Amino acid sequence: MSSDFYNTSILPFAGIIIKLCRAYTNSQEDFEDYYQEVCLQIWRSKENFHNQSSWSTWVYQISLNVCLTLLKKKKNNKQHFVSDHLAEEETENNYAFSDESLNLLYAAIRKLAEIDRAIIMLYLEEKSNQEIATIIGTTPNNIGVRVNRIKKKLKIILDGKVN
Amino acid sequence: MEKSIENIWKEGFLKNDVLVAPTLNNLYNQKSIHIIDKFKRMFKINLIAIVGFSSLFLVVSFFIGIPLMGIIFFVTLSVLVVINKNLLNGIEKIDTGASCYDYLKSFNLWINKQVNINQRLSSILYPIFFLAFILGFWFKEVEGIYLGERLVTKLLQLFPNMDLLFGLPLIGIGLVVFTMGLLAFFGGKIYQWDLNIVYGRIFKKLKELLTDLEKLNTQNN
Repeated sequence: MSSDFYNTSILPFAGIIIKLCRAYTNSQEDFEDYYQEVCLQIWRSKENFHNQSSWSTWVYQISLNVCLTLLKKKKNNKQHFVSDHLAEEETENNYAFSDESLNLLYAAIRKLAEIDRAIIMLYLEEKSNQEIATIIGTTPNNIGVRVNRIKKKLKIILDGKVN
Repeated sequence: MEKSIENIWKEGFLKNDVLVAPTLNNLYNQKSIHIIDKFKRMFKINLIAIVGFSSLFLVVSFFIGIPLMGIIFFVTLSVLVVINKNLLNGIEKIDTGASCYDYLKSFNLWINKQVNINQRLSSILYPIFFLAFILGFWFKEVEGIYLGERLVTKLLQLFPNMDLLFGLPLIGIGLVVFTMGLLAFFGGKIYQWDLNIVYGRIFKKLKELLTDLEKLNTQNN
């Protein structure tokens, strides 16, 4: 990957890649691994991009797929090597942002189902239902309904934490 | 007042320290390994395909009455496979503990050596393939007579004054030698063209990565 490619085609979307990777990881080490893998996969698959969607949608799609794949791999490994008790403990956030409300929100997002995490983050990034639907592979109507449900869930989780 | 999740999100990410992209320190190593592994895999598949094709063709050639062509193809391609298998073993000698840049540079040197040897080989192999093709059909028996002999007899009926050398039409020998000469001359180019079709994308990525690392090195000096 040329540094030009990284600077022009990945870095402008680093924000959402970072946010997505953070939602699927519990430590700084994992986060860096996920981020690196996403960049690597974007570079590897750049020749498969044929303008069927916008570049940003393509980047989000790859980021999400990589995060879900790595998460699945990690879960499989854990099932073999780590007790359920330890796995439970790991869902707690081991690294934090300086903003406490954001930490709570992230902790709540991490409690959501894997796809719901992606949907709510894309929603919070002000992506249209159409674009989210393209990335996730569903219809904009479904996204609309799902976003409302996720927001309610998040509110319940956040209220529980705050109280 | 209780903040909405949208506001928490927006305000939380206003601070600059939150969205710092991690450094991609290991990325180049991962990519080098990916490129080289892919090349090795493709190279091995290519060699297996050549072995498969030449063996199959050898068997088929006996059934369709052109065994000479099958045998020459098989022997020539086997030599090619043995040479390239030895070359492939050379990749394993590249020091994987070296820095990413040195590793890629060694790999690039190996590729250049491999291309160079195969280009020279192609100048010999393509004429041999052509000769095998001609000889294969020349010695194909139809109703107890070789096709080549039939052709000479027919040509002598049409052109009784035709010049012969060792019982073969001189013009035919000339044409075969000329074509073999052309193939020997352009063999390297044909190989290069063939190589780009199969490995073009990998070579492009390798070049891109090397240029990138060279740029990084000059920036750091």
